[in-house]
Amino acid sequence: MSNLEKYQSIFKESFQYDGDVEQLIYQAIPDWDSVGHMQLMAALEDAFGIELDVDDIIDFSSFKKGITILAKYNVVI
Amino acid sequence: MTLPLEFDINGIKACQRNRHPLLFVDRVFDVIPGEKASAVKCFTYNEWFFPAHFDDEPNVPGFIQVESLVQTFIMSFLSQDELRGKKTNFLSINNVKFKRKIVPGDTLTVHATLTSFRRGIATGSAVSFVGDAPACSADFVVAVPDILDQFKPKGAA
Repeated sequence: MSNLEKYQSIFKESFQYDGDVEQLIYQAIPDWDSVGHMQLMAALEDAFGIELDVDDIIDFSSFKKGITILAKYNVVI
Repeated sequence: MTLPLEFDINGIKACQRNRHPLLFVDRVFDVIPGEKASAVKCFTYNEWFFPAHFDDEPNVPGFIQVESLVQTFIMSFLSQDELRGKKTNFLSINNVKFKRKIVPGDTLTVHATLTSFRRGIATGSAVSFVGDAPACSADFVVAVPDILDQFKPKGAA
C-alpha cells in the first residue's frame, strides 16, 4: 500500500466516510469535529510512526494541507 | 507526594466536577496519576433513587453503576495536578456488563485503568465488585474539553 493509499484509508476509517476524501476540510462532515480531529491525528501518528507538534495539529485543516504537514516529518504522500 | 494517592470526599471534589446527587464515589485510593485509580461507594437506603427503583425491590440503576465506574476512571487522570478540577464528557461507553444486583447495604469497590491519555482524550476501563463478586464493567473513552479545544484547527485551508 502506498503512502497515499494509507493516508486516504485513514481518513475513510477515521470518519467512516466513503466520499472523495481529497476534498475534505475540517468540519465539512459531521465526523470531522474536534473529537474526530484527535482520532485522525492519533491514527496518522500510529500509521506513520511520527509525533505531530501542537502547531501542526492546529494547522491540519484539510486533506490537502495534511499532505504538506506530513512532508515536514519526511512522510511523502 | 507519596504514591499511591488517596482522596477523601473533599479531595475527590477538588479533582472532579460531579456533585450530589450525581457523585457516586465516596473514597478514592490506590491512585497512580496517569495510570490507575480505585474507589469505594457505599449504598444505603437513603440514596435518592432507591424509593423509585423500585419501591418493592430497591436496587442501584445501571446508569448509576456506570457513573461509579467512570467517576473512578476519571480520577486516574484528573488526579494529575495540571488536570485537577476539569470537566469531562463521555465520548463512548463499550462492553458494559452487569453481573449482579446492587442493593442497600452493599459497598461497591471499583478498579479503573487508564490505557492512554492523548491530547484530552482518555481511554480505559473499569471493573466493580461487591465483596469478591463481580458487579459491573465497561470500557470508556472520555474527553477533557478544555484540553481538546487547544488542538482544534483554527480554520480550513
